[in-house]
Amino acid sequence: MAIESAVIGRLVGWLTPADEADWDALYAEQLPRVYNFFRYRVGDGPEAEDLTSATFEKAWRARHRYRRDLGAFSTWLMTIARNVANDSYRRARVRSHAPLEAAEGVAAGPTPEDLAVQRSDCERLSRLLGELPDRERELLALKYGAGLTNRAIARLTGLTPTNVGTILHRTIRDLRADW
Amino acid sequence: MDERKLHAMRREPRPEFARELHERLRRQGPAVAPARALTPRLGWSLAGGLAVALAVLCFTVPAVRVSAQAFLDLFRVRNFAAVSVDPARLEQLRAQKLDPGSLLAGGRPEVLEEPGPPRAVGSIAEASAAAGLAVRVPGRMPAGLTADTITVLGAGAVRFAVDGARLQALLETLEVRDLTVPAGLGGRPITVRTSPTVRQSFVAERRHVELVQGRSPEVELPAGLDLAQIGEIGLRVAGLDPGEARRFARSIDWHTTLVMPVPLDAASFTEVTVHGQRGLLVRSAAPAGDRDGRRRGPGRLLLWSEGDVVFALGGDLEEVDMVEMAESLR
Repeated sequence: MAIESAVIGRLVGWLTPADEADWDALYAEQLPRVYNFFRYRVGDGPEAEDLTSATFEKAWRARHRYRRDLGAFSTWLMTIARNVANDSYRRARVRSHAPLEAAEGVAAGPTPEDLAVQRSDCERLSRLLGELPDRERELLALKYGAGLTNRAIARLTGLTPTNVGTILHRTIRDLRADW
Repeated sequence: MDERKLHAMRREPRPEFARELHERLRRQGPAVAPARALTPRLGWSLAGGLAVALAVLCFTVPAVRVSAQAFLDLFRVRNFAAVSVDPARLEQLRAQKLDPGSLLAGGRPEVLEEPGPPRAVGSIAEASAAAGLAVRVPGRMPAGLTADTITVLGAGAVRFAVDGARLQALLETLEVRDLTVPAGLGGRPITVRTSPTVRQSFVAERRHVELVQGRSPEVELPAGLDLAQIGEIGLRVAGLDPGEARRFARSIDWHTTLVMPVPLDAASFTEVTVHGQRGLLVRSAAPAGDRDGRRRGPGRLLLWSEGDVVFALGGDLEEVDMVEMAESLR
């Protein structure tokens, strides 16, 4: 870790030059976002990693076409991720959903009991996600997997922010009812 | 079942997967990353300036042998100050491949705590909980901006020591011959601790603004230093003439002031007031095209602190909008 990044770079990260270090920072920042989008979208397992790889490889090849004046890099990258997901769905319209594994290290110092509850919750949630219509599952993946705001999701999907909020609210309500 | 369970299902990618993908991308061609909000030129210039500012910081090491643990001095960012520097000096530093790391004993700092990659979160409440900070948000969003993403970077800590001989050699190279690096400078430990920081992105059709906030970094320095004297060395490295460097070094509180050298040809700066606190607004000197030749508005960076929290707001907003957005934080 460079001194600069340790002290000031983190406060004014956008000042870093457009060099390799910048790309590395973007990669580190965006990889968990894209990866978790696919985990929520298609479940855990190798497919989430495969689709994440495909997204970054497409983005890498297209990096010269990214127009920063038209939006945030994260929005551009998630557009590619959605297309990768849709392509994958078209190729395999029927798929089995790998279960989401319990997140490790989410809470500080989880006890074995905590982990067991987490794992159990994950399995239940994974099953419920697998039963959702594509649109609802994608919105949940964008919201909770990729960590996007409703407005960012609206820009990606063409829905209004109000619609996004309404659909998410209704979907969570249904999940809660089925829990 | 509630939103917390949905958030809790996130997981970090396997390190092996992350590393292999990164290497695979590298093999496919050189990295040309999308730059962020400010123009490339300003980015380069200020990045160079920041490096010099850090070099100034690096120079604040003891001239006398003391027990570092028993007599610690502390640096916290409370104020920001800018000095205009000759861009030719920054070019010279780049040509000499000067970065703070090149002046460190051992060539690199010892990582005491690794902050890990930035983590996307879904809400301000989640960011506040993750950062241990009451994260503030703008009450006014100018220019059609809307909230985009929120990320949290964890705490980190590094320890390093300055290589006094290399610093002296650098002064010689830069023909700064009236200053001498204090004897016994080399090898004294300096510890930099950074608190978690939260970055909020805001976007509009053609704009991108980011707000970063976090508790001030803390730099533990062995006591007994004449920080003004050491700061003067840093300012001379940054290219100030002897008289100006001496006057400036003696006029500021080096325990609380972060100095940003601003290249004359790339940016200008002015002091502004945010919530009654003195802040620093840095503005690129002229509109500039990005790497594709499209024109953008000039980039701006506003730095200020309130209590022990440091704020940085950067993007291509008009100055009045930048200050109003900062003033609207709640």
